[in-house]
Order: sequence, then structure tokens, then C-alpha cells
Amino acid sequence: MSSRRSHSRQSGSSRITEDQIADLVSKLQRLIPELRNRHSDKVSASKVLQETCNYIRSLHKEVDDLSERLSELLASLETDSDQAAIIRSLLM
Amino acid sequence: MTPPARLNASASSPCRLRTRFVLRFLKTLVKIKRSTPPPPSPSLSLTSSPEKIGRHSQRIKLAAYSSMARAVGQRRAWSRALMLKLKLSDKRKNRYRWLAARKMKQQKTLRRGCGRILATKRNRSEKGSPSRSCSGVDELRRLVPGGEAMDLGVLLEETAHFVRCLETQVRVMSIIADCFP
Repeated sequence: MSSRRSHSRQSGSSRITEDQIADLVSKLQRLIPELRNRHSDKVSASKVLQETCNYIRSLHKEVDDLSERLSELLASLETDSDQAAIIRSLLM
Repeated sequence: MTPPARLNASASSPCRLRTRFVLRFLKTLVKIKRSTPPPPSPSLSLTSSPEKIGRHSQRIKLAAYSSMARAVGQRRAWSRALMLKLKLSDKRKNRYRWLAARKMKQQKTLRRGCGRILATKRNRSEKGSPSRSCSGVDELRRLVPGGEAMDLGVLLEETAHFVRCLETQVRVMSIIADCFP
């Protein structure tokens, strides 16, 4: 799979420089909460990628947990309660 | 609560994206709620079985991802890939199994990026996490929808946008969940 990167060098139109990749990696680093406070020159690109993967996985897990919470809340919600009225007024 | 005013869909600034997502997500939640038949008698202690809650949580999760993908629209490769994947998976449930199975073979690369999103809680434990060690880029390609077919530069950009949208999604869902006592 890493051979894909070496093959892409042959297509000249989509050539991307190392600097651009470094920029993108640092942009990613600023998004990840764990790496945000560290200085960019101390964090390697592979570490950024690894932390990104972990962060995405933790976000997926949070979405799963939240959707479970929401489904339990929906089940316990009475149709004529105040909350349902609020939601209905928001949407209509 | 004042209703949201003046949605201009052309801008992609975060607050408008959030508004678009919130609207779609709430609409889908109401639809899910309405499709649940009310319990036959309120005196019964079991208002909903665990399986029903599990099914609903899967529907809500899919609604959240599809609302986010539709709120982003065609602007991003990951949202296009995710919308296509969700549409194909939805068609499979709607009796077009043979046709979707053919399309599934063609879209095999898309599947790998979206497998985590479509996995139910049962499947998640069966699939498990890959034990082989692979480079961070391969792992990222699997996590981002449509990531298998992207160049590295495009992949990194899409990842950044994807992470921001996931954070928005989590924030909105937790706010909604906290609304109710």
C-alpha cells in the first residue's frame, strides 16, 4: 500500500511537495487536542497520524455512546411533553 | 428558543454548517420517534426492550452521520463517499439486494472507509481491531470515508475537515442529550 505513494510520483500533474505535506500535517496537529499544546518541531509526522487515528476512533465511540443515550431518551419521551413541543416548534 | 433564521447554504463557515446539521438531525430524530409505535399500555413497566433501544441507537447513529454528510454536501470527497455508501446500504435493506450486491463489489474500496460507521455494537466486537501493524497512513485511509482512493495530500486535507465535522457532530449531539433531564 505504501507503494501507492511512490507510483504517484510518476503522474506529474498531482505532484505534491514535502513542504505542503508538512503544512498539512501541522494543520492536522493543531486539530488534535492531545498534540495542540506541543511545539510542532517535537512531534513527528507518524505520531500525528497515529494520534489522528486514535482521535477519530474516540470520536466514533463518543457518537455511539451519545446515540445510545439519545435513543433511551427518545424512548422515554412522552409525545405531549414540553420537550417534544420545543422540538416541534423548532422544525415547523 | 428562537428558530434559526436565514440559512444561506453557499457558505461553509462552521456556524452555518452546524445549523444545517442540527436541522437535519432533529428532523430525522422526530421521524424516528414518530415511527415508533407507542406502548400499548402505559402501566406496563417495559416500555422498550433492549433490542429496540439498540436498533434505535443504530438508526440515530446513521441519522447523525448522514445528516452531517448531507449538511456538508458535495463539497468534500469524504462526504460524497459517505453519502454514496449510506445510500447503497439503505438500498440493500429495501429489497434491492441483488443490485446492491453488484454495486457493493464495485464500491469495495468505499466500504473499507465506512465500515466503522456502519458496524453495529454486535458486529464491532466480532470485527475487532486489526492486530497486524500497519503504517499510520493506511490506518487513516481506512478511517476516512473514501480514503483508499485519495492521494496523500488530499487525504490529509479531507482528514482535517472530517475531524472538524465529527467534533461538531459530537458537540451537537451532547447538547441535545443534555437538553433533556
